[in-house]
Formats: sequence, structure tokens, C-alpha cells
Amino acid sequence: MKKQVSLAMATVMALSLAACGGSPSSSSAAAADSGAAATDSTGSDATGEAASWGDVTLTMWGAEEDQTMLREMADAFIAENADKGNITINIGACSEADAKDNILTDPTAAADVFAFADDQLNELVAAGALQEVSLNADDVKSRNLEGSVEAASLDGKLYAYPMTADNGYFLYYDSSVISAEDAQTVDGILAAAAAAGRTFDMTLNDGWYIYSFFAGAGLEATLADDGVNTVCNWNEAPGADVAQAVMDIASNSAFVSAPDADIVSGITNGTVCAAVSGTWNAQVAQETWGENYAATKLPTYTMNGEQVQMGSFAGYKLVGVNPHSANVGVAMMLADYITNEANQQKRFEDRQLGPSNINVNASEAVQAAPAIAALAAQSDFSDLQRVGANYWDPAASLGQILASGDTQGKTTQQLVDDAVAGITAAVAQ
Amino acid sequence: MAEMTLTAPLRADGREPGFLQRFGHAFVHGDVFTKLSFFIWGLGYIGHGQLIKAVLVTLVQGLGLYYLGVAGIPNLMKFGTLGTVQMEMVFNPATFKNEVNDYDNSFAILLLSVIALVVIVALIAAAMAVVASNYQLQQIRQAGKKTNNFRQDIRVYLNEKFYVTLLTLPVLGVVVFTIVPLFILIAVAFTNYDQQHMPPNSLFTWVGLSNFFTLFGGGQSLSLTFGYAFGKVLVWTLVWAFFATFTNFFGGVFLAMFINDKKTKFPKLWRTLFVITIAVPQFVTLLLVRNFFGDNGIFNTMMSNIGVTDFLHNIGLLSPGVDHIPFLTSNGWAQVMIILINIWVGVPYQMLIATGVLMNIPGDMLEAARIDGANPVQMFFSIKLPYLLSVQGPALVTDFVKNINNFNVIYLLTQDVFVTTDQAMAASSAKEVDLLVTWLFRLTQEQYNYKMAAVIGIMVFIICAVFTVVCFRFINKKEATFS
Repeated sequence: MKKQVSLAMATVMALSLAACGGSPSSSSAAAADSGAAATDSTGSDATGEAASWGDVTLTMWGAEEDQTMLREMADAFIAENADKGNITINIGACSEADAKDNILTDPTAAADVFAFADDQLNELVAAGALQEVSLNADDVKSRNLEGSVEAASLDGKLYAYPMTADNGYFLYYDSSVISAEDAQTVDGILAAAAAAGRTFDMTLNDGWYIYSFFAGAGLEATLADDGVNTVCNWNEAPGADVAQAVMDIASNSAFVSAPDADIVSGITNGTVCAAVSGTWNAQVAQETWGENYAATKLPTYTMNGEQVQMGSFAGYKLVGVNPHSANVGVAMMLADYITNEANQQKRFEDRQLGPSNINVNASEAVQAAPAIAALAAQSDFSDLQRVGANYWDPAASLGQILASGDTQGKTTQQLVDDAVAGITAAVAQ
Repeated sequence: MAEMTLTAPLRADGREPGFLQRFGHAFVHGDVFTKLSFFIWGLGYIGHGQLIKAVLVTLVQGLGLYYLGVAGIPNLMKFGTLGTVQMEMVFNPATFKNEVNDYDNSFAILLLSVIALVVIVALIAAAMAVVASNYQLQQIRQAGKKTNNFRQDIRVYLNEKFYVTLLTLPVLGVVVFTIVPLFILIAVAFTNYDQQHMPPNSLFTWVGLSNFFTLFGGGQSLSLTFGYAFGKVLVWTLVWAFFATFTNFFGGVFLAMFINDKKTKFPKLWRTLFVITIAVPQFVTLLLVRNFFGDNGIFNTMMSNIGVTDFLHNIGLLSPGVDHIPFLTSNGWAQVMIILINIWVGVPYQMLIATGVLMNIPGDMLEAARIDGANPVQMFFSIKLPYLLSVQGPALVTDFVKNINNFNVIYLLTQDVFVTTDQAMAASSAKEVDLLVTWLFRLTQEQYNYKMAAVIGIMVFIICAVFTVVCFRFINKKEATFS
């Protein structure tokens, strides 16, 4: 019996490792015969890099959809540094969302360079699985958006290279149903949706989204100083009123609390006319609604008769370096390279990913993309996602209760009290 | 060589003088070589004229001692603290590499120490076996007979003692792949191995029984709801295992009887149809079914089209605010649905088994019953069911234990779909539909709480072990009365 458990776990681990397995491919047998050229190893003194790197093999993990692009970037890096050493780069598929799980299984066996979502930064640092950026750090800080640098830092130390700045959520809607003015308020959206016989969808039973109502009302849920536990004051005023407001929204017949997959199918089959979600679903909405597709910041909702702007989690994707890497220095150079201005431009062009680089972000093409403009508008009301492991289940449970409208005989104050008790409970000591 | 590792457990079964007695006797009455062989195994065999064996045996002993010297003992010395030196890393810009201090890895210490302990026990047991076997050789020689040469020894292990040869690999496998991991899992339950204490970056250490206190509601605030969640999860695990086992059993039996009935046409067609469901991988079926029964899934659309949803509203089974049937998203509904879906997934297997068992019922028994005027119901309860139970009793017990640990059905049907509304359970990341194993999985996979996972693992083990022992006792008594 016990064996079955451990077997199952071993299998799962093996599978997850396999999922992130390396796919060894092209390496450049960089000209070992650099001969005379080697003498003019132009002393780029600023970075203080070692003269010769010798034979270097690196493994890099990135999202499945990015594989081709990463290969191109890696090959360009190899070509650019052919005079410094014989570099081989293997690329494996591992989504940014799963990076933490795969790395923490065994940090010593994880990739040298990997992409991850910024909410995993704390746990990765705590587990010693992130190398502090010790080459070129000032340049990295200066060329990226302030929020993204903050997301990549902990206690004033930079631990990762910002890659994208589009991992948050916002509102998108069918402008043939909802006017730009309606889209300013939840009430307006619901009224317009009801009039058209369609729905406004959002995932309420998920800690990531339910946060937006409480954050909007000025309440906080954030990481404690120990970096593991969560501080949360949702049970202080006006927390109970926020809960009531969410219940009021959920009970509206034009509102549907639906998981991600249902929002997508709702958009394609025409039942949904507005949704709160992220860039990953925006493309579906864009294809379905055509030129009626519009995106903007999150709306305001009514609490005690007043309008409150919804907050959100701002999300960034980062590139980290594994301190257990045998070639930390070169790994840092590679991470630096794939997140530089040119490659962020490439990332936007190839994959429509919102750049964190200041220059690229300011470019006309990027600013013209509705989703990115909406995220930029929302950024004034968004916070970094910094919560501990105990945040998610109690917050999701609270969202589920509010969405169902069945309070189990508790008052809204008791609901938020119980949620906060769970969220702030000390992570197992 | 095989003798060294294997005579120990086999003879300890207690035939004639015990293993320890024989060792004591041999050590006391043995000659110098027999006595020396306790310390250096080969010496005895050299003295008794078995050179090749002496070399092989000493090689094994040497390997064991080498491991102890290189890894075993150094780690065992740190076993008490599980390491004291935390990892520290400094980047050296000149070499482009990280410089790491000579740190302790708690998990490596634990692992290598457990292996060392196993090796020590094995070495001592083997040494005792060597002494006993040397005493035998000594007696053979004293009686003036010739001892076996190496080739003769090999022949013995291929003939009279072939079972020893056959069992060597499985026993080694059990030790390496079951016993060592089991010891480590048990040991982890007494440490603070969790997210804040993850090797190699930080150390973990022994904390005694405090994890067990946490589980049963003593101590800090977290543990209050942890104990509550454990209780609720345990109850549901047992309820689920009971229903999953018996619905499948009876479902399979009835299905088999219907298909085997003389009036049923095309029995092979029906049987094949049900067996085909086995051919589809279980996880595919489960994920598809999960989507069918989603809140906006096909089944819900159908239900609302034919008016069942409204009907449920009217009789008050659904609260008015809900416009769909929460098959897998609401507590009670999900628990019932999981059991029903499990019938669909599991009944074909049981049908096949029951078909076989039912066909084995002696025909004259049924014939006699029919002549005596028993109706089909009486025949089922008085003949078929007792027969089935007596044959399948042990299988039912293992099914029950398997269902306690039925990870697939629960996890695939509810993960990412079911969100609990019980805030006290949510505070411990548990759900009403969780079995102990799925809860354990999420605790470790999402929260890296290895120590509590180990504790729950031990509890599951105890529950299953107690249940199995009690059931087999009961079945044995029953069987005695039945026959």
C-alpha cells in the first residue's frame, strides 16, 4: 500500500521530469582554431568576465510554444560567443507555471537557465534555486520596467532577468454589445450583457481572481517578512462589505463564475460578451469578436453604493539561473542575452508577448496591441503577486462560497474571518 | 555467496535449532578457522579448503566494509543531527563559477545512513551465517569426508537448493526498492523536512513525535484544522472505499448473471462491449467524463433541455441561485457522482471475475435447489452469493485496500474542478472529496510538506494493515464454517 503511494509519486515525478526533459539539439562546435583571433579577446572589463570559458554545456527550460524561438536565440548566443568557448545549449520544454515544481524536486538536477512566473520567486530563492544576478545587474535593472525589476528582486537583491510583462488579467469585451462607457463599471457591463441575453464571465473560485475585489477596496494579502507565511487583512473593514458586493454580483443572472476553459468556450459559442482573464485567452476573443474586440482595465464595482476600482495581480515572466550550475557565469550571460532588448523585440514579434524592456514596451507596435495597452492601464491598480502557499485554498474556498451565494449560515464577516484564519495560518512548521 | 545473504532469513524460520542457537553453538565449538571466519569470512573457507568461495565471500564483505568506511560511517556519525553545516555559495567573477563550502545534505545523510544500517545488519547476519556454514564444513572434515568443491557447490544451488538461487534477486529487490525507501519514509515522519527545510540549501533535523501531535490536533493553530481535515478525509476515504468496493462487486455479479442467463441473447456481444471499456485507458475515460459532467458540460445542457434541472429546483434539491446541476463541483453531488462513475470504470473487471466464479459453481448444487423448489432469489442468496464471497473474500479485502488508495479516480475527476466551501478544510488544503492519498499528494506536490505526507502515509499504512489483518481473520473463521 505504502509502496503504491511511493510508486505513484515516483511515477509522477518521473513524468514531470520527463515533461521537462532536455531535447538535445544543435550545438555549435565553435571554432577551436580561433588561433590569432583568440589573442584579441577584447577585455570587456566592465563585466569582469573570465577570458576563456572552455567547453560549456548548458540546459535551458522554456515554454513548449517558445522552443523554436529559444533555439534561435541560443544559436545566436553561441555564434556571438564562439571566440570565448565551445558552448553547447540543450533546450527543454517546461512551462513557466510549472517551473517551480520541477526545479524544487531536485535543484541540483534542474536546468541551468529557466523561465518562470514571478510569483514563484520567493520559494525559489528560499530553496536556494535562484542565483543572485551578479553580472551586469545594473544594466538589467535600468533597461526593464520598474515593476518587472521589483518582481525579480527580493530584499533589494536582483534574482532574475525580467522577460515579459503581460502575465496579469484585465477586461475584454465585445464592443458591439458593451459600450466603452458601460465597460467602466461592473453594473454597466451586467446591464448591457443582460439586455443582449449574454453573460459577463470571471473565475471567482480562484484565489488569483478573487483577490481583485479585496485589493480594490484597499485590503491586502501579501507575504510576511519571513517570506513563507501570508499577511491578510480581508476581515477588517470593509472586507465584509466586499464579500457582500461579490455575492451581489454573483447573484446577477448575467454574471457567470466560470473556469478558464468555460470562458473560452463561452466566447467562441457566443454566450459570453465580456470576461476577466489574461492574454492567453485574448487571442480567442480577438478571433471571435473581430474588430469588435476591445480590451481595457478592470471595471469598478459597487460596494455600499460607491464605486470601487478592481485591483489585480500584476504578473511578469522572468528568466532565472540555477546556482547549482557548473557554469553559473556563462548561464548568467545567456539569461542576460535572451532577455535583452533585441530578443524582447523578437519575442513580441514571434509570439506577441508583452515586453518588460522599457524601449520595446514604448514602441508603437507594442502600444497598439489592445491587451498590452489594457494591462498598462491596469498596472496603476495592480500589485505584485506575493502570497504564501496557504493563501490559495482558503481564498478559492471563499470565492466558491461567494459565487454560490450559499453562506452556510455564516455572516459575511464570519466568512472573511474564516478565510483570513486559513490564509494567515502558519505554513507547517 | 548466495548462501551468505540467504541462509539467514530462510533458516530463521525456526526449523530445528534456531539461527542464533546454531551460530552460538558453531562459534563456541568451532575450530580456529570457524571462529576467525566471523571477522574475515574468507579465512574459514581457506582453512576448510574452499578457496574460490573464500575469495568471493571476502570480496562481498570487503564491498560492504568499503561502503561503510567511505560513506556509511561518516554519515552515520551525523545521523543524530542530520547535518550541521548549511550550504553557502559565493560567485567568483574571476572563474565564472560558484564556490560552495563543504556543506551537509540532510537527505543524503538520512539516505546513506539508512543504507548503512541495512548494510551493517546484513553484514552481521551474513557473518553469523558464515560461521555456521564453516562449522558444518569443519564437522564434515572431522568426519573424514570431503567437502564440496566450488563446482559441486554451484551444482547444489542449481539443483537441491535451487529455491535459494531463485529467491536471491527478489529478496535483494525487496530490500533495495521496498525496505530502504520504507525506512526513509518512516524516518521523514520524525523530521521537519518541509518547504522551509529543503536540502541541499538548508538542513532538516529530528523533531520526535511532534508531527503526530500536529496531526491529532495538539500544538499550533494550523494543527487544529489539520486534525479536523484529517478526520473528515479519513471518514470519506472509508465511506468511499466501502461503496466503491461493494457497488463494483455487486454490479459485476449482477451483470455477469444477466449476461450468463440462458434467456439473454448474444451474451458474447454484451461481454465484449463491456470488456472494450477496459481497453480505453482509465485516465482518458475519467478526464472525458469529468468534462461531460462539468457545470457547463454536455450532460448539464441535456439535463436543462429536458427539464431535469427545473425539476430539481422545484423539489428543492438545487438552490434557486444555481442554474446548473453541480455534478462534480458541490460536495454531496460530487461524492455520489464519483462512486457512480467508478462503477462504470470498475464493473467490467468484476464482471469478468464473477463470470468465471459463477461458472464454477457445481451444477448439481443448483439443480438440487431447483428441484427442491427454490426460486432464483433464494438460489442467489443461499448458494451463489455465499459461494462468491467464500471465493472472492480475499479479493474483496484487497479491493477495499486498493480503493482506500484509489488515486486516479478521485484526482482525475476532481482536480481543478472541485473547490471546497468548507473553510476549515480549505485551511488545510483538503477537500471533502479527497482521499488520504490525494490529500497527501497535493500536500507534497504543491506545498512540499514531506514530513506531514510521511505521517499521513504511516497512518494509511496502519489503517490498511489493521483492516487487512482483521478481515483475513474473519474470512478464515467464515471459511471454516462454510466448508
